[in-house]
Amino acid sequence: MLVGLAWRNIWRQPHRTALSLGSIAIAGTITVFLLALQQGAYGTMKESVLKLMDGFAQLQPPGYADDPDIRKSIPDYGPLIADLVALPGVTAATPRAASYAILSNGPQSYGAAIIGIDPASEAKVSNLGSTVTAGRYLQPGDENAVVVGAGLARNLKLKPGDSLTMLGSAQDGSIAANILKVAGIFSTGSPDLDRQVVEMPLARFQQDFAMSGSVNLIAVSGERLSDINAAIPSLARIARKHDLVARDWTQLQPALHDAILLDGSFSALLYVSLVIIVVFIILNTLLMSVLERTREFGMLMAIGMKPRQIGRMVWLELLFLAGTGAVIGIAAGSAITAWATRQGIPFPGAEALFSQWNMPSTLYPQLSLLSATAGPLAILVSVAIAGLIPYARVRRLEPVTAMRSA
Amino acid sequence: MTAIVDCKGITKHYRQGSIDVPALRGVDLAIEQGDFASLAGPSGSGKTTLLNIVGGLDRPTDGTISIDGQDLTALDNEDLADLRLRKIGFVFQAYNLIPVLSAVENVEFTLQLMDVPAAERRERAKEMLQQVGLESMENRRPSRLSGGQQQRVAVARALASRPSIVLADEPTANLDTQTAEDLIALMSRLNERYGVTFLMATHDDRVISRTRRHIVIADGRVASDERRTLEMAG
Repeated sequence: MLVGLAWRNIWRQPHRTALSLGSIAIAGTITVFLLALQQGAYGTMKESVLKLMDGFAQLQPPGYADDPDIRKSIPDYGPLIADLVALPGVTAATPRAASYAILSNGPQSYGAAIIGIDPASEAKVSNLGSTVTAGRYLQPGDENAVVVGAGLARNLKLKPGDSLTMLGSAQDGSIAANILKVAGIFSTGSPDLDRQVVEMPLARFQQDFAMSGSVNLIAVSGERLSDINAAIPSLARIARKHDLVARDWTQLQPALHDAILLDGSFSALLYVSLVIIVVFIILNTLLMSVLERTREFGMLMAIGMKPRQIGRMVWLELLFLAGTGAVIGIAAGSAITAWATRQGIPFPGAEALFSQWNMPSTLYPQLSLLSATAGPLAILVSVAIAGLIPYARVRRLEPVTAMRSA
Repeated sequence: MTAIVDCKGITKHYRQGSIDVPALRGVDLAIEQGDFASLAGPSGSGKTTLLNIVGGLDRPTDGTISIDGQDLTALDNEDLADLRLRKIGFVFQAYNLIPVLSAVENVEFTLQLMDVPAAERRERAKEMLQQVGLESMENRRPSRLSGGQQQRVAVARALASRPSIVLADEPTANLDTQTAEDLIALMSRLNERYGVTFLMATHDDRVISRTRRHIVIADGRVASDERRTLEMAG
């Protein structure tokens, strides 16, 4: 009875109801779209950064992240990689060894991170090869080849085909030295990476740095970051079996993780402000409606309706209003977001900024159950809670006083 | 005869700022089963206050009031609402129908509050509308009914719960002469045929002349209480 009455009551003032519904629906649409865009941007940012070098997760010797010592290594990693790629969600695992060395070309010398990679499996984990702007990326069978970041190549005045001298410290404390030939130059857009990183074939690295066939870490990848996040417990179990630790993306890119959390907090403030504004608009409308209908409530009490029943009816009216608005918001927001997901949202002028994270300048919103419902549901719940104010007001009404009101 | 309403020493004082305003100054009144009574008096005499107290809408400052032997002063607000629902029917000057409900739904409304099963309440509501001559308009909303028709729906609503007494506050005040006459005739017929007890606060001589009991309130007291034969009521 109350449900039907409440539903009809909200249509007594169709214009006012339409405006209230519009407020909720527009706010809902905005939250759906912005949240999806934000999730899409975060997703693109994470995957772009992680795909460039780190992979979606890594298995490392304990303490390697804090102190990447070449002596903290993983011997006999073949069976480990086989175990990893057998896990659901894991599409590739690649071994890496890394150290620091002085690189020289004639009178120019610079320090850089030298990473030994397996070209065949590396290409399944890292897309650094796609950022090569001159020459080519490393290939299986390469011996003394290296790819050099564009910044470092500029500093060392290198171009493809040139040679450079590497001087470092091997795992056993001996000198690691070699003359390497530049196969290609990569430009990731990240100045730090382009200035400090050199990749060379793993076999050559293991030989030069006396690694005895060991590596320093295994980078893991999957179709989607979420697949690997879901596989983290399994990765951790395998890691423990080999006396290693599994590190997820938040540990591989803590700065990016913190930046996303910070941005999320600021956005949450925006959403909360939006919800509060909408709640106040709706509450104001409903309180006005309660005031206008006080005499009618008095009449309802006179004919035997209990104040709590009237309060519940008013609260239901608010729920219907907010619920209908939320449904419209979800539908409109999802439709717009779905369209934008196909088209992409270009951000002209942001190329330089986005390239820091290896991101394209067109972002694609990520429509999910969370992005489609979080905002409208937050509005619905907030309005439902705020609706306790008119509910309490109606419950305090006395029949005679109410019937005497204008 | 059995007293449906029994008022003893009812007083009611209102506070207007720091001033205590007496509205009723010790009313003793018994309304009996089958009464068709008018309650008249000049404006401010206390008749609406008395009607509100009899209807359980307001509480007396002092004195006792019972309906069907149930002491109203001992009831809390929820119980009073329940008593109004089951024992009292109201007819207001401004009809006060629920605008979003049709005529039959308005009549059904109190039955729904009483948890009467759907089929039974629809049947009773239609029967009531038939009694007031509105069976052909049961699906019309109040906005599509004339004032007289709305008031007849209000009467049907008041009677639907089979109350002990129907209280009407200036029921004809907003109606034209003919419509008012029709409404009085309807209520009189319901009283005579079904024994429904009516107490009507009114200024309207047309109503007063048709009632078989005429109570006059003046200065918050019962100034006169006259019983008349049907012929006298005309």
